[in-house]
Amino acid sequence: MTGQFRAELLKIRSTRTTAGLVLGMVGLILLFSLLTGLLTKVPSLVTLDDQRGLLAVGALSGVFSALAGIMLVTSEYRYGTIKPTFLFTPARSRVLVAKAGAGVLAGTVFGIVGGALGFGVGYACLAGRGIHFALDDRQTALLLFGTVIGTALWGAIGVGLGAILRSQVAAIIGVLAWAFVAESLLFAFLPGIGRLGPSHAEDALIGFTTNHLLQATPGGLVLVAWAVALSLLGTTLAARRDVD
Amino acid sequence: MAIENQLEVEGGQREAFPDPARAPGPSEPVVRAESLTKRFDSVVAVDDLSFELEQGTITGFLGPNGAGKTTTLRMLLGLAAPTSGRALLFDRPYAHLAQPSRRVGAVLEATDFHPGRSGRDHLRMLAEAVELPRSRVEEVLRLVELEAPARRRVKTYSLGMRQRLGLAAALLGDPEVLILDEPANGLDPGGVRWLRDFLRAFAAGQRTVLISSHVLAEVAQTVDQVLIINHGKLVVESSLEQLMSGTAGSVRVRTPRTARLGEALARAAIRFSVGNDQTLVAYGTTGERIGDIAFAANVPIHELTGESSSLEEIFLGLTAEQAA
Repeated sequence: MTGQFRAELLKIRSTRTTAGLVLGMVGLILLFSLLTGLLTKVPSLVTLDDQRGLLAVGALSGVFSALAGIMLVTSEYRYGTIKPTFLFTPARSRVLVAKAGAGVLAGTVFGIVGGALGFGVGYACLAGRGIHFALDDRQTALLLFGTVIGTALWGAIGVGLGAILRSQVAAIIGVLAWAFVAESLLFAFLPGIGRLGPSHAEDALIGFTTNHLLQATPGGLVLVAWAVALSLLGTTLAARRDVD
Repeated sequence: MAIENQLEVEGGQREAFPDPARAPGPSEPVVRAESLTKRFDSVVAVDDLSFELEQGTITGFLGPNGAGKTTTLRMLLGLAAPTSGRALLFDRPYAHLAQPSRRVGAVLEATDFHPGRSGRDHLRMLAEAVELPRSRVEEVLRLVELEAPARRRVKTYSLGMRQRLGLAAALLGDPEVLILDEPANGLDPGGVRWLRDFLRAFAAGQRTVLISSHVLAEVAQTVDQVLIINHGKLVVESSLEQLMSGTAGSVRVRTPRTARLGEALARAAIRFSVGNDQTLVAYGTTGERIGDIAFAANVPIHELTGESSSLEEIFLGLTAEQAA
């Protein structure tokens, strides 16, 4: 198992895909943090959730972590390396579990980099503009650790989704459309259901207190459930389906 | 572990492949297909296919494109599940082998690489998965003569280099059996010769090779027996000599009286085609037979050549025989 895990980590490190995702993440978080931190009018940066909105821009890392997880599975199907992978390890569930683990580890790195960057830039903007920092220590810790944990879990969600769909394009479009469009609509119209979606569970985990959101701990558990359920479904399907 | 016994290639490839230590008994087949069948919706890709491969043989697995060769290999290797029947290696399904990469090496497609990954990293990620030492990666790179470009990304490789990289991956675990799907595809003549020498050296150490191709000529000088399938069914199972000299061949005849010979062949139910410049090709027959028929029909023969090099002609011959 450790060998398979190391193999999956090597797959992540040995192409430029990961570096591209990290660069994209850093660029996007810098852009959004600076725009929000510098252009938002002071009265809109006073309340706790306003400041969370700025400081948690780093949680965008979750999307990139999901993309890395998706790539870890779908690029193997796309380029056919899934064949030698399964020939060397015919116990396909071992491959997928190792991938989910590698996705979580990669996601942790994404979460640390993205979370620290978003928080750092946001904090600097508030301090530079002389705005009082409203979060207490517990809330700050929740925001930072929540971002790292949430982003790590998105890595496993990406692996699961990739294994279920196999098509790179479908999985990428699927996760973006769900996270940025479908789930927001669901939360807007059916908040009781929408808050159980992975993005809103992550919002809760980070400490947002918007109406209808879960508490932080249940939010974290819901996100864990998503990661586990999608990984298991992906593992089951990968083990059952023929490889072309 | 046979890995440690692997010798350097300096003395030629023969020494690189010592006899496998875990050889099965002499009569036990290494590869066995039992009534193997694969159905995709309404299409039967592989139809009740049975065969056995003995240890130490090089077998050509032949058939036109779409005959079911790749599907059969995928079932042997556990990548696709048979609709019915069994595919066994060393008496068990591939997925149930304890360390499959150390017993069976396979290359299914020469394009199964991430274009942005280096050749060395491709091998390393596979070696890591089965906990082979990194030195083994360097050994197989040397074996397939890819040390120099190993750090380059695969997208810069020629097709021949990709074929060899695939082979290197298959050899990582120092397997007893090699299964190669169309390994000569896209190789230049030098590459084909290199592959032939390589496989001969490999099989000389009592190892077993199954190599598929849709062109008999590509593997004719490498294999010692052939399995020919068409429409998913086994058509011929024979040694190469039998195939080349036997009824499955074609005969090219040059005669000033092609029409008269044609009539005689038609009476004998031999399929043939008439080319330009007084030549005629008869399928599924032998030179002796054609000579006798021509003599009896009073047809002068200026040239008579047995040809068995084209798989397509053999197929035509086989169908002609079945029709007769």
